[in-house]
Amino acid sequence: VLAYIVRRTVYGFGVVLGVLLLLFALFFLYADPTEMARRAVGEKAPPEVLEQWIVNHGYDKPSLWNAEDPTDTLLWEHYRRMLTFDFGRSDADDSPIIDRIREGMVPSLAVTAPIFTFGVLIGVAASLFVAYFRETYIDRMGVVLCVLGMSVSILLYIIGGQFVIGKLLRWFPISGFDPSPAVAARFLALPVLVGLVEGIGGSVRFYRTVFIEETSRDYVRTARAKGCGDGRIMAHHVLRNAMIPILTRVLVTIPFLFTGSLLLESFFGVPGLGSMMVDAIHGNDFATLRAMVYIGALLFILAQIVTDVAYTLVDPRVRLE
Amino acid sequence: VADDFAFELMWIADPAVTSPVIATFSKIEGFREFSERLESLRETEAGFAELRVDEQYRRAGGVAGIQVAGEHGLTIVLGEPYPQILYWFAMPFTTPVPWEAVVWYDGEEGRPFFKDHPVGAGPFQVTHFDKRSRIVLSRNPNWYGALHPEWRAPGAVYPAEGEADDEAHGRLDPRYVGQTLPFLDRIEYRIEKEQIPTFNKFLQGYYDAAGVIHESFDKVIHEGGLSPDMEALGMKLEKAVDPDIYYIGFNMNDPVVGAPAGARGRALRQAMSLAIDVVEYNRVFSNGRGVPAQSPIPPGIFGYEPDYENPYRQTDLVRARALLAEAGYPDGIDPATGKPLRLSFDLGDTSTSGRLRFQFLVDSWGRLGLDVEIAATNYNKFRQKVEEGAYQIFMWGWIADYPDPENFLFLLIGTMAQSNSGGPNTANYDSPEFNERFLAMKDLPNGSERLAIIREIKDILARDRPWIELFHRESYALYHAWMQNVKPAGLSLPAAKYVDLDPALRARLRREWNQPIRWPAWALLAVATVIVVPGVVTFLRERQ
Repeated sequence: VLAYIVRRTVYGFGVVLGVLLLLFALFFLYADPTEMARRAVGEKAPPEVLEQWIVNHGYDKPSLWNAEDPTDTLLWEHYRRMLTFDFGRSDADDSPIIDRIREGMVPSLAVTAPIFTFGVLIGVAASLFVAYFRETYIDRMGVVLCVLGMSVSILLYIIGGQFVIGKLLRWFPISGFDPSPAVAARFLALPVLVGLVEGIGGSVRFYRTVFIEETSRDYVRTARAKGCGDGRIMAHHVLRNAMIPILTRVLVTIPFLFTGSLLLESFFGVPGLGSMMVDAIHGNDFATLRAMVYIGALLFILAQIVTDVAYTLVDPRVRLE
Repeated sequence: VADDFAFELMWIADPAVTSPVIATFSKIEGFREFSERLESLRETEAGFAELRVDEQYRRAGGVAGIQVAGEHGLTIVLGEPYPQILYWFAMPFTTPVPWEAVVWYDGEEGRPFFKDHPVGAGPFQVTHFDKRSRIVLSRNPNWYGALHPEWRAPGAVYPAEGEADDEAHGRLDPRYVGQTLPFLDRIEYRIEKEQIPTFNKFLQGYYDAAGVIHESFDKVIHEGGLSPDMEALGMKLEKAVDPDIYYIGFNMNDPVVGAPAGARGRALRQAMSLAIDVVEYNRVFSNGRGVPAQSPIPPGIFGYEPDYENPYRQTDLVRARALLAEAGYPDGIDPATGKPLRLSFDLGDTSTSGRLRFQFLVDSWGRLGLDVEIAATNYNKFRQKVEEGAYQIFMWGWIADYPDPENFLFLLIGTMAQSNSGGPNTANYDSPEFNERFLAMKDLPNGSERLAIIREIKDILARDRPWIELFHRESYALYHAWMQNVKPAGLSLPAAKYVDLDPALRARLRREWNQPIRWPAWALLAVATVIVVPGVVTFLRERQ
């Protein structure tokens, strides 16, 4: 297993280098530093101020090759900074990016972690329920509701939720965020609810398929023949055997919990990493965007490795060679 | 104090700061030279750049035109006449700043940058600064008004007199007149990204003030005033015309629409100007908000005359067609090609909403038979086109830096032309007649002599049409019943110290407006139970 992890890590590193090269092409060869400077210092700024900004932010270096000093290029600097996690300062407001990521992670997780946890629990429970009642009207109604839920855009859930639950019924605040734990739940209730409703359709449909496939297997019939109760069959045998597809689906989404949700955070005024990305996109803040995309890629690769290892834990038949 | 003023000015000159107003303050004698000396010393002299910043400025010899005499004496010598510099001293750029604070808040070792931790001397101090979500100002106990109420300083006491409509709007309430400012203990600004939830929160009473968003306009505004629903909530509406101008410009270097086309070009511009109905434009795109512009000078700025009518800023298609024929394009047909005259409308906005607005204008010209093509690119591409002179017709706006007609009319002076100086005169308008009058008007005090020249200028611009003036924006602000002494402040920023509010009323109304309605939750639960339970029961019975 250790050898496998090492090998995967080495491959992962190769992928990271490739991602960095792509990022470089996207953010440095395409982006126009003058435009970034104008966004940062303002429309009325004279050209010399723009130039000064470009020098101050290091965008004046040659991009690929510098004969005098090969390390004094944008490409070298890009790799050095990303690989050492020295993200530097934001192009929009000069604040240290690593601090902003650190600050933004908590509000992001405050929204995404409950959505993820409750989403998995409710999703698995609800799909066990409909799978148990399969071929009855409960199952069919569940399918209709799931498809309906999946086909509606999250934007509608957000605006509708804010209007009906926040404005008309006044159950929860329309938007906002408060870091103190006593009040935080009140503000988080609506975005979490919206996130759950939006995601539940897809996951129930997926888990239901997995469970139904498992329930038609021989070992379920054997268990039933042995006199096992329905509850025990579903919770003990079926759930355990369905773990591999569930794990694959669940683990791969974990990295995105850290990077937050762009729409939910923007609309609910949560100062997390998702809304930071939106700000960065609007403000031509390529330094921040680059760091965020890089971190996202890194976490994704990490999650892939963890998923592979986790297979051996839930299914003794899987061997990593 | 004088030292802090001088330091702030030198800080603007510091090339490392990249201040956007460096060009303006370069009118101070020795300003540029100081900036250059500082830069070259940092590059050439070992260890200079590591010195404390005030020490660097001292060694660089300071700015010749800024002389400090004692604690309260500051002399500023200008290299050229520029009376408007006084306005710049009323802006945040020149707020006195202690060098100690600039040195300390350097962004190192966990300390914020000075710009994120401002240190000044106003009635409020910044006590929380997160520019992405929340900024809090608290009463400053060390403000001169708070330390010395007995001075009765003009900026520290509520005034007894105001502008014409202040009395009628209840802003000169005897309960406030003569009271020591400020009234509020704390001001919280929340930064929200989405307009709709923000406005809904205002309606619930969680925000004290708000603008009027497009989506809710008809619900909130009724025939120019508040709708009955909003009036029932006790809300106040304050309207103000912004000190700005939005306009369509012609590139005067262009052989077809510009000066090289002589009288033909002028008649073409006049015709195009007469084709645009800006009242309709505002009705369609901004709920009718906006004052149709007759000249570059907006209301509230000296030289604006509400009765002035620009002969070419009325909508008159008959006259427009006659002028077009005079220009040699009868019914918009270019005799050289036999087809409608093709013009290019160059824009730096590719958004859908932008396209609709541009199409409105293009359609207006289309009614004259002209074939105007929208050439929309991203903003930077557009800037590039402007720099290269590769544009014909464009659309732009200008917001006042300070309340003086010079700040609008300088946009058309020949020396500021984009093509020869990279300046903000994007129309490249260069008329000796205009230039001469502008220079004569620029440094005059406001009075009949200045007004007479401004009237001549307006006539020249009306005739020459380097611009088609569109509108001056109008902003609407809503305030809840518990807010007192609110006034749209225009260019003047520090108005918060006059504002007061009634927290008890706010708490009561907020509670009243936000009683949760719970029965739908129970109803939903009941419906779900009624649907699911029979199914479960039947299923289990069948399995038995």
